[in-house]
Amino acid sequence: MKQKRVISLFLAAAVGFGVIAGALTSCKDKKEEKRTKLIVGFDAEFPPYGYKNEEGEYVGFDLSLAEEVCKRNGWELVKQPIDWDSKDMELKTGSIDCIWNGFTVTGRESSYTWSTPYVDNSQVTVVLADSGIESLDDLADKVVAVQADSAALAAFESEDATEENKAYAASFKELQQVPNYNTAFLNLESGAVNAICMDYGVAKYEIEARGSKFVMLEKPVSTEQYAVGFLKGNYELRDEVQKTLIEMLDDGTFAQIAKDWELSDSVCLSADDTVLDGSTKKTESFSDKMLRICKQLLKGVGASLLIFALTLIFSLPLGLLIAFGRMSRFKPLSLLMKLYISIVRGTPLMLQLLVVFFGPHFIFGVSTSSEYRFYAVVIGFTLNYAAYFAEIYRSGIQAVPVGQYEAADILGYTRQQRFVRIVFPQMIKNIIPSITNEVITLVKDTSLAFAISYTEMFTLAKQVAAAEATIIPLFVAGVFYYVFNFIVAFVMSAIEKKLEYFR
Amino acid sequence: MDLLEIKGLKKSFGELEVLKGIDLSVAENEVVSILGPSGSGKSTFLRCISMLEKPDEGSMVYCGKQAAHFEGGKMLYAPNSELKEIKSYFGLVFQNFNLFPHYSVLKNLTDAPVHVQKRSKAEVEQEAYALLEKMGLRDKANAYPHQLSGGQQQRVAIARALAMKPKMLFFDEPTSALDPELTAEILKVLRALADEQMTMVIVTHEIGFARSVSDKVIFMDGGVIVEQGAPSDVIDNPSNDRTRAFLKKMEEK
Repeated sequence: MKQKRVISLFLAAAVGFGVIAGALTSCKDKKEEKRTKLIVGFDAEFPPYGYKNEEGEYVGFDLSLAEEVCKRNGWELVKQPIDWDSKDMELKTGSIDCIWNGFTVTGRESSYTWSTPYVDNSQVTVVLADSGIESLDDLADKVVAVQADSAALAAFESEDATEENKAYAASFKELQQVPNYNTAFLNLESGAVNAICMDYGVAKYEIEARGSKFVMLEKPVSTEQYAVGFLKGNYELRDEVQKTLIEMLDDGTFAQIAKDWELSDSVCLSADDTVLDGSTKKTESFSDKMLRICKQLLKGVGASLLIFALTLIFSLPLGLLIAFGRMSRFKPLSLLMKLYISIVRGTPLMLQLLVVFFGPHFIFGVSTSSEYRFYAVVIGFTLNYAAYFAEIYRSGIQAVPVGQYEAADILGYTRQQRFVRIVFPQMIKNIIPSITNEVITLVKDTSLAFAISYTEMFTLAKQVAAAEATIIPLFVAGVFYYVFNFIVAFVMSAIEKKLEYFR
Repeated sequence: MDLLEIKGLKKSFGELEVLKGIDLSVAENEVVSILGPSGSGKSTFLRCISMLEKPDEGSMVYCGKQAAHFEGGKMLYAPNSELKEIKSYFGLVFQNFNLFPHYSVLKNLTDAPVHVQKRSKAEVEQEAYALLEKMGLRDKANAYPHQLSGGQQQRVAIARALAMKPKMLFFDEPTSALDPELTAEILKVLRALADEQMTMVIVTHEIGFARSVSDKVIFMDGGVIVEQGAPSDVIDNPSNDRTRAFLKKMEEK
């Protein structure tokens, strides 16, 4: 046994080294070779700069520009859609060469090596046309949505935010971070948020696409500029791209592409602009940083634990009821439960969360409140886990030998007594290993609450990681989940041991 | 008075007719053994009179109370409250013991008397200890079933049935899951019960035991009673060829 463990550890280590070594060599190769391709990272849900069109292709103003740049340099363009929160990680690991996607310079001057700005954009506010909201002043005590790690968020919360905007942010009931603009508009339409702050170009595009239900407030939150962002210090690539862009400006190609995307009003590329190279940030000791990040994540830990605890409290009994329904001799009930279990197990939990959160509005026309977000998470998780628990209970009950039922019947137990006194204790023993598996999965699944923008541990870690341009929060999150599950496994094995008194 | 009166009991599983009309009456203090080859229907018969299976036809009377009879093409059962009363008249000991694994030996004996019969816990426990004493298992009161041998488990199962104070006991091949040594252990217990005038119906393959302990022996084959009577008649001087063939086969074993 022990020997086996040593061997498997050794094997795991060997595989690990192999992967790392392979990765290192491939990195080295990349540096030595002449550039043959340009990997552009973009948020695929950011029209008109970069998005998926009706034919399923990635298109957009920025991607057209990138395509032209690549053509002129003889590079192959690789369009790499990325999770916006992870853009710094992607850039650092070299999995993308640049971020070219309506990338706001304002507030991020020192974090990247930049091309000159080519689009002047402003952050504007979108509200429902019939909401009666006319200015930012009307948004006091209202919920305002911004994309996680977006320029709009920076305009309200970053160190560089104006005093006026900071005051506005303080007056809001909540500044709700959402993963993408589609979610933001679903939230706005359902009433879960009252306004969205976003880039002018995107707002214009979204309002045109979604119709007259939405309007833009006149006064912008801030003005800002877009440029191509490169890894800090990657002047070589920046200069090449920059040079090509200026060539395109000189021969009119740039203006033509802007016209094609109806962005002629916003472009501002000029050969005279200075380029920003990024300066080093003020330094902070590693332990201070770690401590600060842990403190930031603490709020999310509470949220994750709450989801976890409430889900278990509600889904464990609910699962038993569903199992009873599933095993009922009343056919319609049994079929209904079978269908329920089949649907819940056959569709992603993330989708179920979206349905629970947005369903009340889009199916029943009920306006949802911001508080409902948390309830929706708990309801969604409970409904999902109850279905899994129901099947575990069912298998646990069916594993109790028929002789136990017969012995109980001969001794005169009622059906209820038979279940409570004879079947249930044996079922519990049968199902503990399966329950342990589910509970451990639940710990990790709590991170799916991000689907409806509920800020639990992992969502927060991603946001902090993006804002600080470091992977430390993700590492801390990983440690948290591991420790949490270690405790879960310990508790469950203690229960299992406790039940070893019978066989 | 007859404690058990069964008439014309029939039972089919799908197309297969397992019981083709069985009559049996058991008087108080009588010990009846049911013999027969595998598939003769003897276990199904015992399960029917224990109400674990529902017969298709026939009438069943326990201690003068009718539990079920056949009328107008279907079985009619007594009301539930009466059935509950009737079920308390008999106990059943299984081939596989079917002890409750999560209960200690003592709790296996006391749980039903306390929670089903609502008797006082102190009184029930006292009786349970006495029963265990009688079974030679006084020191196993706090053990769990998996810690016991097969013979010990079956003795606990018999004690569990007795703790309910039934008027009669049914045994479904009580020694078939045991090796010869442990079989002797259980047969000794059954013999002691017979000596105490316990009314018993025993489905068994132990011919020698049946001969020495039974007041009446029934030989079943093919879903019917082929022969019945005193052991000296049925076992020592069988009149039927099928009985003779079965006994001969059992001897060869």
